[in-house]
Amino acid sequence: MKKRASFILALTLAASLLVGSGKVVLAGENNTFIYATAASATSLDLHREITQNNAFAIDKIFEPLVLFDEDGIVGDWLAESHTISDDGLVYTFVLRDGLKFSDGTDVTAEDVKFSLDRHLEVEGPLPLEADIASIEATDDKTVVITLNQAYTPFFSELANFSNGILPKDFGGKTEEEFFQNPVGTGPFAVDEWDPAGDLTFVRNEYYWRGTPSIEKLVYKVVDDDNQAINQLKTGEVDAVADLSYANAAEIDGNAETAVITGGSWNVEEIFFNTLDEHFSDVHVRRALALAIDREAITQALTFGYGEVANTVLPNAIRYNTTDSVNALNLDLEAAKEELAQSAYPDGFDTTVSIASGNNVRLQEAQILQAAGAQIGINIEIDAKEIAAFREDFKALNFSIMINSATADYPDADSIFAFQVDPEGFSQCYWTSYKSDEAVKLLKEGQVTPDGDERAAVYADLQQVLADDVPYIPLYYPSITVGIRSNVEGLVILPNGSARFENVTFN
Amino acid sequence: MNEQSGITEQDFRKKIFWKWLRSAFLRSLLVIFFVMIAVFFIIRLVPGDPAVMILGEHATEDSIEAMREQLGVNLPVSQQFLRFLSNIFRHGDTGDSLKYGISSREMVLRFAPVSLSLAGFAMVITVIVTVLLSFLAATHKDGIFDHIVRVIPAFTQGMPVFWIGLLFILLFAVHWRIFPVGGMKEGPFGLLYSLTLPAITVSFGQIPPLVRSLRERLVEVLNADFVITLKAARIPSRRIFFGHVLRNAFVPTLMLFSVNLSYLIGGTLVVEQVFGIRGVGKLLFEAISNRDFPLVQAIALYCAVFVVIISFLTDLIAHWADPGTEA
Amino acid sequence: MREKRIRKKTLMIGMIMMGLLAALAVLAPLICSCDPLEQDLYNVLKAPGSSGHLLGTDQLGRDILARLLYAGRTDLAVMVLAEIIPFFTGTFLGMVSGYFGGRAEWVITLVTDTFIAFPYYLLVIVVAFATGAGIHGIFITFMLVGWLVYARVARGVTSSLRRSEWVEAAKIMGYSDLRILVTEVFPNVLPQAVVVLMTDMAALLVSIVTLGYLGIGITPPTPDWGMMISEGQSFVTTAWWLSVLPGLMVVYTGIALSLLGDGLADFWRRDSV
Repeated sequence: MKKRASFILALTLAASLLVGSGKVVLAGENNTFIYATAASATSLDLHREITQNNAFAIDKIFEPLVLFDEDGIVGDWLAESHTISDDGLVYTFVLRDGLKFSDGTDVTAEDVKFSLDRHLEVEGPLPLEADIASIEATDDKTVVITLNQAYTPFFSELANFSNGILPKDFGGKTEEEFFQNPVGTGPFAVDEWDPAGDLTFVRNEYYWRGTPSIEKLVYKVVDDDNQAINQLKTGEVDAVADLSYANAAEIDGNAETAVITGGSWNVEEIFFNTLDEHFSDVHVRRALALAIDREAITQALTFGYGEVANTVLPNAIRYNTTDSVNALNLDLEAAKEELAQSAYPDGFDTTVSIASGNNVRLQEAQILQAAGAQIGINIEIDAKEIAAFREDFKALNFSIMINSATADYPDADSIFAFQVDPEGFSQCYWTSYKSDEAVKLLKEGQVTPDGDERAAVYADLQQVLADDVPYIPLYYPSITVGIRSNVEGLVILPNGSARFENVTFN
Repeated sequence: MNEQSGITEQDFRKKIFWKWLRSAFLRSLLVIFFVMIAVFFIIRLVPGDPAVMILGEHATEDSIEAMREQLGVNLPVSQQFLRFLSNIFRHGDTGDSLKYGISSREMVLRFAPVSLSLAGFAMVITVIVTVLLSFLAATHKDGIFDHIVRVIPAFTQGMPVFWIGLLFILLFAVHWRIFPVGGMKEGPFGLLYSLTLPAITVSFGQIPPLVRSLRERLVEVLNADFVITLKAARIPSRRIFFGHVLRNAFVPTLMLFSVNLSYLIGGTLVVEQVFGIRGVGKLLFEAISNRDFPLVQAIALYCAVFVVIISFLTDLIAHWADPGTEA
Repeated sequence: MREKRIRKKTLMIGMIMMGLLAALAVLAPLICSCDPLEQDLYNVLKAPGSSGHLLGTDQLGRDILARLLYAGRTDLAVMVLAEIIPFFTGTFLGMVSGYFGGRAEWVITLVTDTFIAFPYYLLVIVVAFATGAGIHGIFITFMLVGWLVYARVARGVTSSLRRSEWVEAAKIMGYSDLRILVTEVFPNVLPQAVVVLMTDMAALLVSIVTLGYLGIGITPPTPDWGMMISEGQSFVTTAWWLSVLPGLMVVYTGIALSLLGDGLADFWRRDSV
């Protein structure tokens, strides 16, 4: 018996030694850049997708006429120049010289017309909100878009990945064939793609801004935060998207890794269901806002990678007034007075809904709970799995919820149309908030040309929201990407995407 | 069970065996059928809309409605059920994955090899370690080794699998860098290499209760009257052990592992999550979370079929070894 | 003689460990004056030993010692309560199916096999999703799932006893089935079932903790070891004690239960042999 036991033991040992001698393949080898992302790209049809897992793959392949930079400023991209008529109705774009698709064919104005027409036809989850009368290719390089009504956000809207340019008639392929191996003007093209797994890009040799220096770009699916961080530490990946703030300092403090940050189009917010018996009362909403220490929340939860938010407009988007708006800050006495003026001076019981599995939301909910307890509002936490959470709030079946709002493109209207328009499908981010004044300002902002006048409109709107408190902005989270220290030239964008065309390894 | 005259014992055994086989087979089919139905309805009890999960919170009502139609989840449940049944009986499939648009069966088959390797690897470790430890402990009952074996499992028993995985990753992968943090390496060698730590993690939680039960069983057999009688008859203890104790312990051991299989697969699912291995477990969590009904059904169905087949086979072996077992 | 002492020791140590844990949980308010829910957002993630917090503070500045103790209260209570119904239903069903065989056994095994054919965590997670997070979800989940182990064990022991000389003798003496089940079978099933109870309690605790870890277990602010591990996971390299300490509590409980189970098994065996 003993003999046999030791034999098996030896065998096990030998096996584990054998196994242990394998070599770890590190990222950065063979000029391949490995980027850890949380979810796989499931579809590359730019007109039918909206979620980040697809958007940030699509924007490597397709590029629009105009595009935003790391500060969120929109400028010409495939277009060499543009003009907007004084009445704000006619947009004329002229394409750059020598633009080519990744298969080597030339880009013409007809391709632009085809792409935008298909988007209008498909509609999709990110439809063009502008009231478009016509799209014409007046010559090989000129596209003229005419609107029925002036709509200032249109220019920014065009910067959306869903307005990327593809070859006319899908280059002769069927739709299905085309989106299996799409052709665009972007810096990368699909090399190998598993909709349920990793996506490997190969560089576009014809890229108009110069061939990218990395040969391949891999989106590796690593859907666990800790897993991603550990793989970054050991060099199994070169960069990690959406690094959690709790780990950022550690990654930044390590010699082999670093953190790059930037402003985002996100706001972390508390939303009230204004149809709720308690929260239909503005005094109740104001009281809760006065009971919350947003400064402390920001510090405790973002570890210095976020800023206190006084308005719902992200601070990486123009016309944000977080420094000048008069917002409700922590003041327990004022909070109690405010509650005394409401229909519930002695407090009440209510619930805050959050999606489970999100640690930060859970912390926020617990802080809110403690804040409410101080003024007699007893808040219970209802953490539901994300699909159930969404179903609930979309059915207006909640009292308070914590969620984040994201602008789809860098125009103030992208946030406000979603959060202020009671006629919109989102019903003011499902708060059912109705304010005639806010709606009036929203509509005004949509037609006022960019400049001081528009700034004034949005300043007023942000003040109205700060007084009415249909939602409490908490903080503006930064974009944080963890990288290996030998990586250079990675550009992160305020929507959370990144540009890899200038990446090099040291 | 009555003795029947005119029939040889062998015929009688054969007859009983075939009777058992028929009923066991029938029962296996029934189990699979019940699992199918249960999965279909349980997953639909869970609130949440797959279309919203695909399109996200910013999608418009119209595009969500269009997506629901495209996915076929706007149909009444009864119709979905009929569709589900016809899909299974005609194609052996549960329909295309809502999220990936690929056949669910194909998805499961694609992710199965990794999970099966992990489960198999873990099973091998579990069996070797368990059998070894329990035999050593039982034969040296109340010796030092027995106590060590009984104390060590006590330590590991209450360790949540995800917690052990976390500690292992921190120690072996991040600190000492002996094994990769997670994910899968290429090639059969890479496969083994990547799976070692996860497999040990899976076995870690499996071994203690197994050692406990098996040791109890062995102690019982060793204390059984016939062993005592044999000992009294001065038959060499080695012969008693291999000839009688082992034979008597074989069936319960086999049954133990067979029952444990389902837990082992469950453990595999959680461990895949911790190590970021893209196997069936990860697929499952994702599918539940996305309300990807066909995919959840396919995974549960194939897991069940797998478990049922294995337990059918172990029952068969147990029955063959000892026709008296009520397997 | 030495054997006996060691056996006794196992049981004693198990009882002491478990008793200590129970005392800590029950007497929590006396041991620690801190409120497990009180937040101090400007004093987060303090290391053990600092500023009046013996075990430090968590990411919201709450006292970790207080949270560990209060979490123990909840987790242990839920663990014990959630185990009662499965223990009796499972043992009962297992005995019935093992003793009577035939149709009863066929139906019960069919149900058992169907449940067993599901991967354990698939079942737990899906049921927990369906019932929603919270203690009631845990009770329902384990009422559905927990009895299987007992049924399996009780059936195995009972069916091997069915043909034993005691039972045969009892039958010949004309005892009723119920009486045989209660007087002959149950005493033999009980030790096995109790050993399983101890193991299963530890397993149940792990499941509760796993659900808490996945965010579908005990709802905050009620402290729970699983939630504490999961909340601390983000800080595992910088403030390892956040998730290691609650993990150790779970492990400690497992050891206590395991020793208790072992000790009891030996105690009973010695008694009955």
